[in-house]
Amino acid sequence: MRSTRLPVLLLLLVVVALAYWYFHSQRPASNGETIAVYYTKLDGTSLGDVRVSLRPRLSGESAAEHAHNAVLYAAVEAVAGPPNGIKAIRFPPGTRVVSATVNGSTATIDLSKDVEQQAGGTFGENGEFKSLVYTVTGIKGVDAVQIVVDGNRLETLPGGHLELDQPLHRSDF
Amino acid sequence: MTNRFIVRISSGAAFAVLGLLAAVPARADAPIVALYQGQTIRFTHVSQASGGLAVGVQDPGFAALLRDAGAWLTWKPGERYVLITTSVPAVVSFAIGDRRYDVGPIALQASFAPYERGNEVYLPLNELLGALGLALRQDGAVKILQPQLSALDVRNDGGRVTLTAHAGAPLHPRIVQQSADAITYAFDGVGTTLSGTRKIGTGGVRTLQISVSGSVRDPTTLVAVRLDAGTAVQAPQTNGDRDVVLSFAGTQGAAAPPQAVADESSPTPEPAPPEENAPAPSAALVTGVTIEPGDDGATIAIAVTGSAIYEWHRLRDPDNRFWVDIKNAQLQGPPTEQNGESPIISVRAKQNDAATVRIALSLDGPKPIAVTPSPTGLTLQIGGENVADTPRSGGGSLGGLLAAGGQPAAAVTPAPIDTSAGDATSPDQSAWKFGPHSGYVPTNPRLIVIDPGHGGSDVGTQHGGLREADLALDMAKRLRDLLTARGWEVKLTRETDVDVYAPNDSPHDELQARVNIANNAGARLFVSIHANAFINSGPYGTTCYISKPDDVALAHIVETHLAADGTKDDGVIKSHLYVTYHTRMPAVLIETAFLTNPGDYALLASSQWRQKVAQEIADGIGEYARSYPVPNQPAQ
Repeated sequence: MRSTRLPVLLLLLVVVALAYWYFHSQRPASNGETIAVYYTKLDGTSLGDVRVSLRPRLSGESAAEHAHNAVLYAAVEAVAGPPNGIKAIRFPPGTRVVSATVNGSTATIDLSKDVEQQAGGTFGENGEFKSLVYTVTGIKGVDAVQIVVDGNRLETLPGGHLELDQPLHRSDF
Repeated sequence: MTNRFIVRISSGAAFAVLGLLAAVPARADAPIVALYQGQTIRFTHVSQASGGLAVGVQDPGFAALLRDAGAWLTWKPGERYVLITTSVPAVVSFAIGDRRYDVGPIALQASFAPYERGNEVYLPLNELLGALGLALRQDGAVKILQPQLSALDVRNDGGRVTLTAHAGAPLHPRIVQQSADAITYAFDGVGTTLSGTRKIGTGGVRTLQISVSGSVRDPTTLVAVRLDAGTAVQAPQTNGDRDVVLSFAGTQGAAAPPQAVADESSPTPEPAPPEENAPAPSAALVTGVTIEPGDDGATIAIAVTGSAIYEWHRLRDPDNRFWVDIKNAQLQGPPTEQNGESPIISVRAKQNDAATVRIALSLDGPKPIAVTPSPTGLTLQIGGENVADTPRSGGGSLGGLLAAGGQPAAAVTPAPIDTSAGDATSPDQSAWKFGPHSGYVPTNPRLIVIDPGHGGSDVGTQHGGLREADLALDMAKRLRDLLTARGWEVKLTRETDVDVYAPNDSPHDELQARVNIANNAGARLFVSIHANAFINSGPYGTTCYISKPDDVALAHIVETHLAADGTKDDGVIKSHLYVTYHTRMPAVLIETAFLTNPGDYALLASSQWRQKVAQEIADGIGEYARSYPVPNQPAQ
């Protein structure tokens, strides 16, 4: 009797383990929270937004990694801007998010050097960073954004006006 | 959908075994060689997963494809997320181990989840290509990456109709036929799944007929537009670097009243528009229904690919039910039922008849519902204070059609919807980093520091022979003279075209030097003068930038005086600008006008106008000083 129980028990354990693994690794993602991807309108200050949903935390994804991924996604969305048909202040062509990190409540967004190709006025610079800061601080737990360019912390953009060597908050705009 | 899936999982180990098999990735496969835009793309990091072909993100062919499609990748080894920004732009988001992928605001299900092998992530190829506006076609033994006309968005703007075409390659339309009542555009090298005839009936545009000719290797998509007599046709224009906008203006001025598509009859000799229950040339596919809970409501995104007509009905309180029928459509997968949080009780999706997919909602109370064609299907916004309610029934169409009510309808372009309604959805922007006021008391209440922006190694913006540094200095000197004549003591941060701190100094040192001049002197006010610029010639106007609560009154008063300067008054904008942020006294940075706008440029080029601006700033400073006196202030 005992000789038949053990294999059955083992088989049941394997089945349960497989079912558990399958449920946690293969189920369709449930709906996560949404965030607003802001863009600055051509009046130079008011914000429009496009809502996107954040991917829920995945199996094996730590809370810290999830926060990093959410910030990276939000930053990429903000730098991409809304579809071309929507009039908005946009980052200079070619500007990309090189990386994103989260330390405490501050997200550091590393932008490619293309961001330095500004038209020269306060208008674009203010609108671009306002939309990025508002979008990234829409992630829970993030209330400030440190901008770096190509891995380097800058005082301002070349010929620029905004102070970039300290984290920016929503209250800066 | 999730709840139903849980039931299936709990039913037994067979699903677990199936899941195990489905997750087994991937054996190395032969390279895929495909022609794309006249060149050969060779995918060498290819795997055959159980759900289809997968391509590695470090594949040189993949990189070449992204480059040619105007897209770019955000990913590093070790990262779980793979993000691709398309030329729309839209962000396509994949994640290792998750079948869900997002195209802008729409969540979709891929045939299999991305997986990691070695140090590389492999993505489902078909889904990736679709998001880029491409399709892998077979031409005999040759594979073709065929760009797709993936969207033809129709917008009605007060009697003017615009068609915005987007594809997985730059579009170069040519007019192949034009008469008084019709025009046909050819998009060479582009295929489409949007074929069919669509009724428009507004803005002088009667119908659109989309068809494909040519071969797999060399397709041409034809867009034939039937017009009312007298309709004005504008030349195709490029919007962004990929989209093409075709514009038409009818003779009536205002748009015709919108009609529900289902009520329309065909007044034209064109082939009949799709009728109810009559499948169009290619059936649409409903690929997913997702619920996104919100603060005071919810959003339901119905993902639809292809062309379809939709029709909604609702039963008001106490029934509180709503359903939308998507016709000429097939539901991908089995019927689903999802339970939601308030206000949603449940959302059900089923194949209602052979050609109709029904999405039915049960709500827990009377809620306003907004139905909006989205770029990848249909969006239902339930509840929320900004949601305008729908009538009891209505309809529209998807897949490059004009929806009832004149709303834009799009096909599969992964373009998010602008959900903002003016400034109503803007977040609170009234917070300040500082306290309400600093209590600053100038040690020299007679002194005003004027800062001509830029100078020396930094010319600021320049356009058409004018340099911001020169213009700023000119206006600053004019302002100095006016204020001095009124009894003020004035100090300029620079009197000539020089760096203030040191030649070729850093931006920080340069700006801090200007701040130090004002702070060290205990000045009453700080005024920085600039000229604005943008990447295109559109924006124009005068803007006053501030950073502190102390700046508000000064900026508003100066702005009021500048409102009559001859260009647009863009008001006062708060920002983290170095000089206004770090000066201790009330400060304002005035962007007088845009060098990049022709009208503003002409103003800036005029010494008379620059004198007028200086006069208005001086008047504003005078009014501020009278309104906000400090002890022992000299009469001005």
